[in-house]
Amino acid sequence: MQTSELLQSYLVDANTWDEMYSDASVREQYKKAIEFMQQLSVDELNKKEELAKRLFMSQGITFTVYSSGEGIEKIFPFDIIPRIITAAEWDFIEKGIKQRLKALNLFLKDIYSSQFIIKDGVMPADMIYSCPHYLREMHNFPVPYDIYIHISGIDLIRNNDGSFYILEDNLRTPSGVSYMLENREITKRIFPDLLPQNNVRSVTEYPTILHRNLVSLSPRQNKNPTIVLLTPGIYNSAYFEHTTLARLMGVELVEGSDLVVDNHKVYMKTTSGLQQVDVIYRRVDDDFLDPLVFDANSRLGVAGIMSAYRKGNVAIVNAVGNGVADDKAIYTFVPAMIRYYLNEEPILKNVPTYQLGKDEEREHVFKNITEMVIKKTNESGGYGMLMGSAATEEEITKYKAEVLLDPRQFIAQPIISLSSAPCYMDGKLQPRRIDLRPYALCGPGGIEIVPGGLTRVALKEGSLIVNSSQGGGSKDTWVLAH
Amino acid sequence: MGIRGATIFIMLSRVADSLYWMSRYMERTDGILRMLKINYASSQDDVQAFSWKPVLKIFTFLEEERANAMAHDTRGVLQYMVIGKDNPNSVLNMVTHARENGRSVQDHITKEMWQCLNDFYHTVRQEELANWLQKDDPITILDMLIKHGVLYFGTTDITMARGEGNSFINMGKYLERAVQSADILDVKFSDVNYDMDVTTDTTYWKYLLLSISGYELYLKTYRGGFEAINVVGQVVLNDQFPRSVLYSINRLHRYFERLKSERNVADFNQIDFMIGKIKSKVKYSTPDSIIEEGLHEFLTETKNELFAIGKTLSKNYFAYT
Repeated sequence: MQTSELLQSYLVDANTWDEMYSDASVREQYKKAIEFMQQLSVDELNKKEELAKRLFMSQGITFTVYSSGEGIEKIFPFDIIPRIITAAEWDFIEKGIKQRLKALNLFLKDIYSSQFIIKDGVMPADMIYSCPHYLREMHNFPVPYDIYIHISGIDLIRNNDGSFYILEDNLRTPSGVSYMLENREITKRIFPDLLPQNNVRSVTEYPTILHRNLVSLSPRQNKNPTIVLLTPGIYNSAYFEHTTLARLMGVELVEGSDLVVDNHKVYMKTTSGLQQVDVIYRRVDDDFLDPLVFDANSRLGVAGIMSAYRKGNVAIVNAVGNGVADDKAIYTFVPAMIRYYLNEEPILKNVPTYQLGKDEEREHVFKNITEMVIKKTNESGGYGMLMGSAATEEEITKYKAEVLLDPRQFIAQPIISLSSAPCYMDGKLQPRRIDLRPYALCGPGGIEIVPGGLTRVALKEGSLIVNSSQGGGSKDTWVLAH
Repeated sequence: MGIRGATIFIMLSRVADSLYWMSRYMERTDGILRMLKINYASSQDDVQAFSWKPVLKIFTFLEEERANAMAHDTRGVLQYMVIGKDNPNSVLNMVTHARENGRSVQDHITKEMWQCLNDFYHTVRQEELANWLQKDDPITILDMLIKHGVLYFGTTDITMARGEGNSFINMGKYLERAVQSADILDVKFSDVNYDMDVTTDTTYWKYLLLSISGYELYLKTYRGGFEAINVVGQVVLNDQFPRSVLYSINRLHRYFERLKSERNVADFNQIDFMIGKIKSKVKYSTPDSIIEEGLHEFLTETKNELFAIGKTLSKNYFAYT
């Protein structure tokens, strides 16, 4: 059976930007890929989907769900149809993210030293001090090269007019980059020749750039500094990513128990004694990093690591305390930061955001709650949020009560209609909502963004939630060359 | 590290530990699968006399009573040995352990090795396996599983860098193999009360040798038929036989010596002495001297020395908690 009907049941929701379709015709950037798909039969496409699943499984690109004492391997759902971004779109995104990161980094430096932004009245002091991720331990500590945000994964969405909005800034330990890399590898296997035919830019530089940046941060001027990636361990859902990055960079993957601090220096325990560590790319959250300073019950971190950090004997990536900059309440102030620190107009827009800590804004949100999404300021992964359009009366009442207990911890945004992109489902293409997370790397030489990213997709029809913990999947993300 | 230029490669204790155990579990898996295959074949040769009891005695922790009950239930033994969840030495559990160890050191083994472990794991976990073991030809299934292991060994050999990691992998492998060969011999002989004369039954020794891939070599070495003392000679002392105790200890020593460095001198010397001692003891034995000392006593002492080496390795090289 030929799949000329591949597109027949493709119905774009009203008032939604579709990445592939515009006025019932396929956009230029999708034409070649779609023509290619149309030459394949449903059987062939199904086989490709099957092959993709098998490759993920066999390579152990999985996460483990533990139930009744037994681990079950699951793969993150992968949709075989790539998401395609034009060269012009990418230029715009790249410029916008670089600008935003520059401002956010200046903000972190400022807020942990002179705090001009508060003194100049751009941001109220209580916004900062009420944020649980603001860490006094970082005050007046000059981080190497003034870089706080070495690695970021900023989430972008596209409104119905096609313009890009920043959904959230992930500046702590953003994950998912291994999927950017692996999804591309899978595409190479299931669609031979399709990438070069479409002039897709490569993403393979990512580990090389990251490694180069990590080397440059070493406090000891040593040609071969010891760099480690600190993981919470094999039970962490992102463990696969940690091993992948360690392998691709050729750095040591360590757990907290592999490290020890002596005289304000960090060492790893090796088969021939202790070896000093220079740079730590940690995938452990601030709270668990050092039981002597933060959560005393943490077994994931290393006792004394903060003192070694503050003495300048070890570099930590990302810097500690970044959470104050990607807090959802602080988010509202990012456009003001860009104007304040850079004297520029923001290139990428913020989604309008209401502070539920402010009475009149809260009233407005409660009145229009069915058009709002309410989120906790310090939660991620789609947890603890209320989608006003989909919630029951009872859920709303309960959530409102929770908000009133501590309104500062909540923000609300009008429900933005995410753009849709074609997904292969039941032998046809069907539109599903997507977002985009490009990964930016910042080193002494500046900010670099590998052309690509993670496209997350809400696999349920009509759903707007793309988080993997809430039934989302992912796609390979193509950025076309000029 | 290691991206450019020569770096002194230093290995985390935890990583060394995991590589060593990954390897031991894979070696044990291979040994058990081969042994199951040959014992199954043997069970088809003489239904009357065949008992799984020696196998259950070497490779499981079953209580006497349960082992007796299972001794003639071929399919039950296969189920228990291959996919028994409550059997710590089942192929399922060992491959799971090997993979878990491999998973935590993925950046120290090659991607190909990891995929072998991972594919093996998914194979022993598929639900159909229970059904196949119950109804289909066991040899076909055991062969399929053995191939997964062989693929892992071959892949390791041709892809793994010859550094410290490779040494720990090989030390795990040969220590495990030496123990296993000693075990198999011990139990097979305990079955006949260590009487060197009584069993001239050819099939008995034939299957013992087959289960450790030593049958052809035996035929070439000893042309005069099967004698217990020759079996002891080959399985303990033949340094050309890759499953002999001596060969395995020689290899263990060879890979251990590669760990020698300026650091850790005292720790190294301690273990070097231990391996050297047991190596000499085995090397300068003869079949006759072993029998004179008592085969059981000899094998038990050898095993105890090997266990002590394992323990000291763990203390001197793997301690990280």
